[in-house]
Amino acid sequence: MALNTLEFHVKIDEGTKSIDKPVHLGVVGSGDMEVLMEPKDLKGAVSIKLVTPVAGFDELWKRVVETFVSETLLGDVHLEINDNNATPAVVLLRLRQAFAEATGE
Amino acid sequence: MPKWNDIQEQSFLESDARARAVGLVDEGTFTELAGPFDRFYSPHLETLGEAVEFDDGIVTGVGKIGKTPVFVISQEGRFIGGSVGEVGGAKMVNTIRLAVEFYDKLVAEHSDLTDEEKPVVVISFETGGVRLHESNAGLLAHAEVMDQLQKARHKVPVITLIGSKVGCFGGMGFVAAATDAIIMSEYGRLGLTGPEVIEQEMGKEEFDSSDRALVFRTTGGRHKYIMGDCNVLVHGKVADFREALGKLAGLPVSEFEKMRRIGSPELVEKQLKLVALAAEMQPKDARDVWAKAGNADAATLDSKPFDEFVASVKRLEV
Amino acid sequence: MENVETMMGRGRDAIDMIVDTDSFKEGTVGAKTFDDPEFGPGAVVGTAKLDGQDVTLIVSDAQAFNEKFPVVYAGIIGMEEGYKMAQAVYASLAADADKPKEQKRTLVLIVDTPGNGPGKVEEIFGMNKATGAYQLALAEARLAGHPIVSMVIGRAISGAFLCHGLQGSNILSLDSSFGTMIHVMPLTSISRIIKKDLETLQELSKGNPVFAAGPQFFYALGGVEEQIDKVEGMRPAIIEHVKQIRAAVAAGEDDKLGPWGRGTLGAERNGRVVRPKVINLMNQEFAAVAEKYAPSR
Repeated sequence: MALNTLEFHVKIDEGTKSIDKPVHLGVVGSGDMEVLMEPKDLKGAVSIKLVTPVAGFDELWKRVVETFVSETLLGDVHLEINDNNATPAVVLLRLRQAFAEATGE
Repeated sequence: MPKWNDIQEQSFLESDARARAVGLVDEGTFTELAGPFDRFYSPHLETLGEAVEFDDGIVTGVGKIGKTPVFVISQEGRFIGGSVGEVGGAKMVNTIRLAVEFYDKLVAEHSDLTDEEKPVVVISFETGGVRLHESNAGLLAHAEVMDQLQKARHKVPVITLIGSKVGCFGGMGFVAAATDAIIMSEYGRLGLTGPEVIEQEMGKEEFDSSDRALVFRTTGGRHKYIMGDCNVLVHGKVADFREALGKLAGLPVSEFEKMRRIGSPELVEKQLKLVALAAEMQPKDARDVWAKAGNADAATLDSKPFDEFVASVKRLEV
Repeated sequence: MENVETMMGRGRDAIDMIVDTDSFKEGTVGAKTFDDPEFGPGAVVGTAKLDGQDVTLIVSDAQAFNEKFPVVYAGIIGMEEGYKMAQAVYASLAADADKPKEQKRTLVLIVDTPGNGPGKVEEIFGMNKATGAYQLALAEARLAGHPIVSMVIGRAISGAFLCHGLQGSNILSLDSSFGTMIHVMPLTSISRIIKKDLETLQELSKGNPVFAAGPQFFYALGGVEEQIDKVEGMRPAIIEHVKQIRAAVAAGEDDKLGPWGRGTLGAERNGRVVRPKVINLMNQEFAAVAEKYAPSR
């Protein structure tokens, strides 16, 4: 019944970059999510806290975030996500949008 | 968040609550209060295992239009229909309260305070009212909002904007009616009882809730404009709402009293004339009332081009 | 334990149980008279004595039927009823306009209503305005010093409770043994709409009063000041609350009354604990930027 909270770290070996400013993006509509993206000293890692009503997709979430981190070479960033059944495609889209905004791209 | 200039060109109907909040006030002036980084989500949704949102579906804050401090409340329809619970309700209530306190403070500090330096509140509604997941707290929050609206009377004008997908229904339908001025687009809808409930009460032959045109004729912006419930009818961009809002912000509060529908014994008497007309006419359709208002083209009024409609429509007088 | 004596549908009977014997004059409030028996029959308004003092009574009558607006029956508040109730409030304000704040007459609202008028004609003409008008009038009267005591005797449902009751200075309710209903929706309907099974919701409502139906849950949230366990208890409780309200008004503590006061009560009773945290944070955040929004001189 209660919401599921998932917390994990992702760290890649290549040189990482953080973001310039904290960003909030998205609306927790059905099939969508929101993310807070904040710079944080994590020795190059990305930490994720995810809250979702859906259980049992831990590995999928990790893979999606890993994909995002490897394509952006992100590090020293904390992500907090409120999810409401977003598909992996939507998750990647929102993360990329937030990243673009946080890096002024 | 899109750039401020881009928000202006966005459709108000499609804009999320934060874009509306930011875009309605002058560029770069918006400060969000209890924003997503404060992480005040609903503990009750969490208990029920429902998805939560860091702002609980409502954006509150303060900005400026010219010299006027503008306290903004903007509801997010995509998050549980813009419904009001404990957290979101408290944000709404306290935004109005902060505006009234700020007014009192400015008046006390500045003997030469001009009308355009006095605060206003703007509420961009997108809601069906109480959030059922925390219904009791949501209901009590509605009562608090009504109380604050009365406390703002003769001090801080409260301006309603309705042009978002969900419309403004349930308890928030009378909250909107109790504000000073109402700006709508033709895509906005305002009422108390949602179409499905009317159908359930009266039967499908009396009211078919799937008939979109009928629903809009009954509660949509054009109808509410004819009835005098909406003061200003605007095109559908964020910039259009902002322009109409800008014309009102800074007016003396006495001017807003003239825009009200309810809130005084005189206005109650005026509304009772409308109720007597309703009893006499027993309209089957809002078009009957449009014809009564003197619109010979009542049958086609809802499909007229917007500018033509605004220029030619006759509004109901009693 | 179930009380044999339910007050549901007995608004008029409740008047006699509450006010001084034979003192109720229906249809007169101050200088205003309500002469048309067919106007807003679902709302009974008038003046009575309570403990020797003039009080305005505003009562939902579940036995009445409004011929002109067929959705108005069984205590439903229609457009006429809403405006009639507002007129009774404004007439009370006018009657005491020259009196000091501490001497304004009391308004007693007897609450037994299942809803606001849900019809097509109501939507075309704006039922939202009628219920809003009454609430604004009540808030104005309360802020002017009139004690308003809402007495829930039967049903206080959703928007109709907002309309008739929730703007009171203090709210009293017969307890659940009378079958008193205070809610937005019964838990069965909530369960269906939010798609959570009923047993789970019932279990959760033991620890969290936020969605369950019943006066005890509103009490826990600070939405009801006091629950009354016998009908004879209504009159003395109302008299006592009028005294308390007058004391608060005299002390300039209006913020302890009405919806805002009940917000504070909700935190004290551990029913609405997040509300004050949100409010405090917003106050701090605004104080930090307020200067930016003040006129530059």
